[in-house]
Parts: sequence; structure tokens; C-alpha cells
Amino acid sequence: MPSSSLAPLSFKVVIMKRYRSRAVSTVGLLTPGLGLLTLFVAVPILLTAWISLHRGSMAVPYSALQWVGLHNYGTIFAQATFRTALLNVFLYSLGNLAIILPLAILLGLFLYQTRVRGKQLIRTLLFLPYMIPTVAVAIVWGYLYEPQYGPLNQILGWLHLPAQDWLGSVHEALLSLVILNVWQTLGYYVVIVVAGLTEIPQEYYEAAAIDGASWFQRQWHVTLPLLRHTLAFVIVILSINTLQIFDPVYVLTQGSPVNSTNVVAYQMYVTAFNYGQAGTASAMAMVLLAVVLVLSLLQLRLFRSI
Amino acid sequence: MVSRRITHRIPRLAALMTLLVLVLAACGGSGSAGPSSSSKVAITYLTHWSGPQVDQLHAAIAAYEKINPNVTITVRTVPFGNLLTTITTQGSSSSGPTIMGIYNLWMPQLVQSNLLATAPADDGQDIQQAYAPSIVSAVQVDGKIYGYPNEVDLYALNYNKALFQQAGIANPPTTWAELISDAQKLTKRDSSGKITQQGFGVITSWNSGVVHPWLSLMDSDGGQLLSADHKPQLNSKAALETTNLYYQLVFKDHTTDPAMGQANASTTGPYLDNFAGGKTAMIIMANWWESDLQAAMGQRFQDVATAPIPVGPSGSGSHSVSYSWSTVVSAHASADQQAAAWKFLHWLNGPQSGKNGSSAMGDILMGMGILPGRTSDLQAHQSQLNSPFIHTYVEELPTSMPFPTVLGGDELTTSLQKSIESMLFGQASPQQAMSQAQANLSQILGQYYSS
Repeated sequence: MPSSSLAPLSFKVVIMKRYRSRAVSTVGLLTPGLGLLTLFVAVPILLTAWISLHRGSMAVPYSALQWVGLHNYGTIFAQATFRTALLNVFLYSLGNLAIILPLAILLGLFLYQTRVRGKQLIRTLLFLPYMIPTVAVAIVWGYLYEPQYGPLNQILGWLHLPAQDWLGSVHEALLSLVILNVWQTLGYYVVIVVAGLTEIPQEYYEAAAIDGASWFQRQWHVTLPLLRHTLAFVIVILSINTLQIFDPVYVLTQGSPVNSTNVVAYQMYVTAFNYGQAGTASAMAMVLLAVVLVLSLLQLRLFRSI
Repeated sequence: MVSRRITHRIPRLAALMTLLVLVLAACGGSGSAGPSSSSKVAITYLTHWSGPQVDQLHAAIAAYEKINPNVTITVRTVPFGNLLTTITTQGSSSSGPTIMGIYNLWMPQLVQSNLLATAPADDGQDIQQAYAPSIVSAVQVDGKIYGYPNEVDLYALNYNKALFQQAGIANPPTTWAELISDAQKLTKRDSSGKITQQGFGVITSWNSGVVHPWLSLMDSDGGQLLSADHKPQLNSKAALETTNLYYQLVFKDHTTDPAMGQANASTTGPYLDNFAGGKTAMIIMANWWESDLQAAMGQRFQDVATAPIPVGPSGSGSHSVSYSWSTVVSAHASADQQAAAWKFLHWLNGPQSGKNGSSAMGDILMGMGILPGRTSDLQAHQSQLNSPFIHTYVEELPTSMPFPTVLGGDELTTSLQKSIESMLFGQASPQQAMSQAQANLSQILGQYYSS
């Protein structure tokens, strides 16, 4: 076989022209997307990392920031408030995972496998809260949770159950925010699960039924294993979203009572805008980024190995 | 070989094009606002006011623009919770707000960030002559004046006369002992023991709402928050006695339920609803909430009365904490805009802009039940200041103790809030809460003021 250097010159030119035009179109198609990603994602992340190594307010020019190295990272981990905020986001995320994941699977199975009239309507109603801005949801739930006048406590009264303090209780405030988020986002994850269920061939269920498998055995041995990629996606996205919670805390509790609902994003906001400490707030942002990244990678790796 | 060379070029070309896009995007940013091509100067006024107060401000601006046709003034309103954020993010831009209404606790931080312009000499002189020295000191940083003071706020005991009458109590408490006793008589519980009407209410989830009433009680017990050299005084007898008072009301007498005191991001919420709804008999709150109470209570507002802060066992008199706001000018506005802004503020706060010798600012503030800071405004509104609700605040003003305007003021207020709340919700004893607060505030202030 002759080497490319010995190929006729005209053939080489044709190949070069073809690859050049391919290169131009590839670059042309990639540039806008890459450009936007770089401008709005990579550059802010790098800038935040740079600011986290400095001290100063976000109202002053970058040149006026004072270099402090890793001092801000030491400072935030020495603050009990930040450590509590970090713990709270983990608890909040776990709480959401524990409730949303099984509910999404069960509802997805109900909507996909059962023959019930009005399934489309149910699916739409489930998804509707996801369309409402979180701030509006938080304001409404603030009224629902009102200890003296709120409908939730009134309903508990009808059922002869004791009224709860909800957002006014150190022990219940974070759980109250979890319930709010479950109500708002469950429909979104149900839709993802249903999409995953459509990928599972029906032949597997038929074969399992022929072999005498019960409904539960079919779900455990057929549905869940074949749904694992979808569930991995749900868990990763759920974790990313819940670790960054901000709106309901800002609107309803401001981190109270006694830091029981304080979360990293809210602590970051208060540190940057109320205390004027851009460097410390940026350090918190980088820690949150690292946590979300590591957790997502771990979860993906775990599901890949199952 | 050829295809590998070409393939290697693609990522390099993509990176190059991306860089070009970034450079173009950076060049496309707007430059600083130069002088307007016409002779008109456009300035903006950023405020957290809403409703009728903004309407009054618009009316005042319209009157000013009539006599100063070369100036246009646009009002921007944001909720209080977003005000500092807006100032921080937009204040350093030349197209940011020109005039800003600020809480004076923020002033040292904003001055340090070079966001505020110093008042011109004649405005500085006007301010020093027209306002009481304690009010002038709140708009000074390192001896320089940075704004026109406007509202002054302080605290008083608000109580429901109808509930007092039902409980057979003739007069509001003047001492802590009377406060404790009255709270017991005014508290009602359901069959399960849960409080349905609390004798005395506290506020949670809002730093000023937690700290200022507590501090007013401490000041009335002979205490103070900071010493003259910026050292916290939370290890004092008065601080512990005040925290013990709260502990007694919540955990021993069960006449206060912290869960009923929650505030939301708009500084309203259950704590206000419960007082307006007759479920809280007494609460320490500021004068500015008069308009919120009137809106919430309607006709029942006539049941609300005010009294001086009850005096503690170690105190010699009632001392409310006070704080103030001011209107400032952005240091990043153009010279023309700054000059136009100071001229407008001079007029807005002057006795010729309002009714019957009051300034337009004084008229706006009185509409909200807020005390104006200018001496001539207090005189012009004498009759309104004698109203049943406001007169207590006016009487308390001379003996009030201003909240310290220091660097880190917001941070230390929030830190103290958390310590007080940890005690209110049973997570710390009064001693532990004050020790924690003393340590935290020392650390916060230590960043800015050397020992």
C-alpha cells in the first residue's frame, strides 16, 4: 500500500479541501455554544475562584481586592453558621431524595402501567406546580403554614391532630421546606420516570409473567434494573437542585429559626450582599461547587457499577 | 497523517474562535455614561417605600421639576429586603441609582466601598444646623457628612387596650416585674396547654426584629451593646438579666410563644398578624409599623396604645434603641448628576417644599407614622405627633440610645439574633447565649477595629 506522501497530488488536494471545509463548519457550529458556555459558565467560575482568594466588597474594583490566599476557606469552615448551613443542605437533599424518588417511581408505574381514565389529566396536574415560579410557591405555602390561621393546621384540627408550628419550629422548619419542594417538583421527576419506563421492552414483563413472577417481582427484577440509568439521572439532578436551594429560605425563613433552615446559598447571599464580604462568599460558592461536583460524579460512578 | 493533522487543528480553531467571540462580547459592553447631549440632567431615586409614600414622592418631584425643568427625576422602588443588594450591585455603576435611601447601619460599609459622595459644604452646614447632634452623628463617618437624615425610628411597648380591659388591667406595665405579671394575666391557652393568646410577643427570623426590642429592654436595664471603643458588652449584668427575662416569659411562665413571632422577608408575617388579630397582647415594636397595623386592623386600630419600654431592675429609666435612615448620593454618578441630586435633596428636606413649614420629606414620613429627623419638621407636625400612637415615641426620642453605626453592623446584628433565638428555642441557656454572642461579636468587630 503506497503511503500518503506518495499518493497523487490531486488526490491529496481533494482530501485536504474536504477536511478543511469540514473543519470550518465544525468550528463554526461549535463556536457560538462554546462561546456562550465559556462566557457565562467558565469565566464566572474562574472569576469566583480568583475572588475567593481575596478580601473585599463586590462594590470595589478587582484591583482594590486584597490577596489573602486560602484564608477565606479557613474562615468559613471555622464558622459554625457555615458548617450548619452545609449540614442543612445535605439533610434537605436527603429528605427530598427519600420522599421524591420512591414516590416518583410509584406514580410513574401507576401512570404508565395501569389502565385508568384521566391519566393524562393526572400527569398534567402533577407537572403543573413545576411551572409556577418558586417565589410564588413559597409565598403561598407561607400562608398554608401559618400556625394560627393556616389551612394546614385547620385540617389537622378537623382530624383531631395537634397543630404544628411548621416554619416557626426549629425541628419542623427544614422538613416544611422539604414538603414544599416535594409538592412543587415531584411531577417533573414523575415525567422523567415515565419516559424511562417507555424504554423497557414489554417482552421482558411477558416473559416474567409466564415464569410466574408476581407484580412486585416484575418491578424488582425487571423494572428497577432496566430503569437504573433514568434513576441515576433523577438522583443526580435532584441532588444538584436541592443542594442549591435558596428561594424558599429567602422568602420564608431567612435561615431561621436559629439557623435550622440556613443553607449555603443563602449564607453566601447574606455574606456577599449584607456583610460586603465578596471573598468569603466566593469561597462558600467554590465549596458548594466542589460538593455538587463530587457528589454527582460519585453517584454516576455508583450507578455505572451496578 | 493528513487527517490527524487536520483533526488536531479543529479544537485549536474552535478555541481561537471562542476567544474571538469573548473579545467581541467584552468590547460590546456599554461605557460610562457621558454627559447628556441635551441640557437636561437625568437622575434616579432608589427607595424601599411603596404605595402612598411613593405617590407623595412623585408629587414632590413633579413640583420640583416644574421649577427646575432641566432636571428629570425617576423613582425606583425595591422591597426593603432587596435594597442593600441593589445598592451593592448597582451602586458602583455610573448608570446606577443617583440618590438612595439607606439604613444608616449600612453607611460605614458603603463609605468603605467608596459608593457614597460626601455632602457639599453648604449642604453639610444645612444638615448640622437643621438636625439634632445625635441625628447628625448617624450620617457622619470619620467626621464627614454623607447624606440628609430623614426618618428616625425607635421602639415602644405596643399593647391591646381591649385585651387589657378584659384581663382587668388598668395601665400598661412600667417595670419588668409588672410586665411579667401582666403577661400572665393576659395569656390564654387551649385544652392541650398550647397558647392561643400570648401575653407578650417576641419576633423571630428577622435580625432587627429580634435584636432591637431585646436591646431596648437591655438599655432600659442600664446596659449598652458596645462600649465607646467598639467592644461588645454582652457579658454585662444587664445583658444576662434581659435574656433571663425572655427565658422566664418563654419557659417558666409560658406567656410567650416564639413560634407565633415569625417574620418573613417583607418584615411582616405571623408576628404582625397575631398582634393585629388580638392573639398577642403586648409587643415591643417600632413607630413605622403604624401604617401596617392600620391596614391590618382597620377600625380595631383604636384598641392599640403605646407606652415607654418597661424599666429593668438595674435600670434608672426607660431607654429605647433608635436608628435612622438617610438619603445619600452615589459617588459614581457624574458631576452634573451629583450636583443636581444634592440640589434636589436640599429642596426636598427644606421647609419650603412641604405644607405649613414642613419639608416634603417630613410630610411623606409623617404619612407613614415615621418621625422626621429635621427639627423644623417635628415642630411643623406637632399636632400629628400628639396622636395616641405616636406621642410615646416622640416622648422617648430624647432619651433613646442610637444603635451603634459601626463596620460589620449588619453582621453583628444577625449574629446576636442567632444567639437570642438559640435561647428562645431552647438550644442554649441565657448564659450560654450571651457568652456565644460576646465571643461572636468580638470576633466580628475585631476584623475592623483593633484592640
